[in-house]
Amino acid sequence: MRERGRVTDDLVGLVGVAVGDRELARRVCEACVDGLDIDGAGMSLFTTRESRQTLWATDEVAMVLEDLQLTLNEGPCIEAATRGLPVSVPDLHHSVETTRWPVFAGEVAERTDAVALFAIPMRFGATVVGVLDFYRTTAGALGAVQWRDALAAAETAALLLLGQRTRPSDLVPGSDGEEQARTTDGHDDGWFSSALSARPEIHQATGMVLAQLGIGPEEALARMRAHAFTERRLLIDVAGDVVARRLRFTEEMR
Amino acid sequence: MTTDGREPVVNAAHTDRERSASRAFVELADTLVDDYDVIDLLDRLIAHSVHLLAAEAAGIMLADNHGTLRMVASSSEAAEFMELLQLQAGEGPCMDCYRTATAVGAPDLARDPRWPGFTAAVLAHGRFRSVHALPLRLRGDAIGALNLFHRIPGPLPADDLALGQALADVATIGILSERAVRRGTVVTEQLQHALDTRIVIEQAKGVLSEQAGVGLDEAFERLRSYARHHNLRLADVARRLLDRTLDASAFAPRPR
Repeated sequence: MRERGRVTDDLVGLVGVAVGDRELARRVCEACVDGLDIDGAGMSLFTTRESRQTLWATDEVAMVLEDLQLTLNEGPCIEAATRGLPVSVPDLHHSVETTRWPVFAGEVAERTDAVALFAIPMRFGATVVGVLDFYRTTAGALGAVQWRDALAAAETAALLLLGQRTRPSDLVPGSDGEEQARTTDGHDDGWFSSALSARPEIHQATGMVLAQLGIGPEEALARMRAHAFTERRLLIDVAGDVVARRLRFTEEMR
Repeated sequence: MTTDGREPVVNAAHTDRERSASRAFVELADTLVDDYDVIDLLDRLIAHSVHLLAAEAAGIMLADNHGTLRMVASSSEAAEFMELLQLQAGEGPCMDCYRTATAVGAPDLARDPRWPGFTAAVLAHGRFRSVHALPLRLRGDAIGALNLFHRIPGPLPADDLALGQALADVATIGILSERAVRRGTVVTEQLQHALDTRIVIEQAKGVLSEQAGVGLDEAFERLRSYARHHNLRLADVARRLLDRTLDASAFAPRPR
């Protein structure tokens, strides 16, 4: 029987804490460095709406690693984002990876003392929201328990980031942010727990709204949360209405 | 032949089932050889389980990296049944089976006090009286469970239990080796991958259901039949629908 890991537990504690993207990324990265056998962490955003950008890096080396990969367009972070799968490189200097990313591996050796690299995509369904990157100055894979914690942490971080970016109080015109942060996010509007447990209605409804409006999954989710917010209902109930065809989203609707 | 020279009594239904079982395992083994899709494999496996074990319905739940059980395959994509499966993330035979890594049976839910919330929901649903959960075993642990729902109360016969467990074992092998075949990865990632894939399929069901104006269960049938007809992975078809490289009009209605 599995139990929730330490880092993931820390991150779940951040639900309902209203902070900006960067602050959230800082807390996630620091929780990872505290709880995992790594020396540094970084987080980059990969959304289709904006260009890729690094939100946070815990130290100079982590920052150089993010910069190199986004500039060279190669490395574990890029691979994790493109393939949607985690990448583990226990020893950059003694593995086949160096042939996959020759320029990147050379630069890393020259400019940093990082040896082991790990990149985990932060996903929402088929969408990669961003990538969580770790490095260590000694070779070796992360242990099974830590790796599991790291994967769960990346999933949790994805939902936190998505929660942030689709927060109803930022989307509903004329709303009083402070008040609403308390009434919706403070009570989690059922969003986080139902997304974390992968309640199928949330994902089915996301697909339906995405098709109704010709938008992406992230925006479809934002529209549903905004609707739940203005109607003072739980997201899961709104999703249930969409799936039952009691509710359709239209361009005019906000 | 028996020792006294008479022909042994042969139960026709029994040998039929043995033949079906062999065919099922051959088909599943064939699938495992190709570059298969884990959800597609589990979907086939569920269909065989329902048929071979005379179940009314069946579903597979996997534990995620938080230790929460999530549905990955189901004989029915109807919302009511998927809800029953998902309820077991809280309590029920599936949770107990996962915790103990042993088979857990509830031969007659009407007389079973162990999981009041789950039992009440199943009985209210009205189609099932008995539930059995068989562990997806890995080195003495469980990674999830195969759930069998029967309409008529009664324990599963030993033969059925053994056959069900064999199917559950094939599910484990399928989930764990799908990506190991392609990359030398670990159990954790493979579980996560199966669960992620299921989310992509749920979103794609939503898209197709909306575009084609059909129910979610029919949307799944169309996804599956398109994938099989074009020899594509179910997850890839779902992704193409989501990134709009495939359109609902490509999906023919299910032949009646």
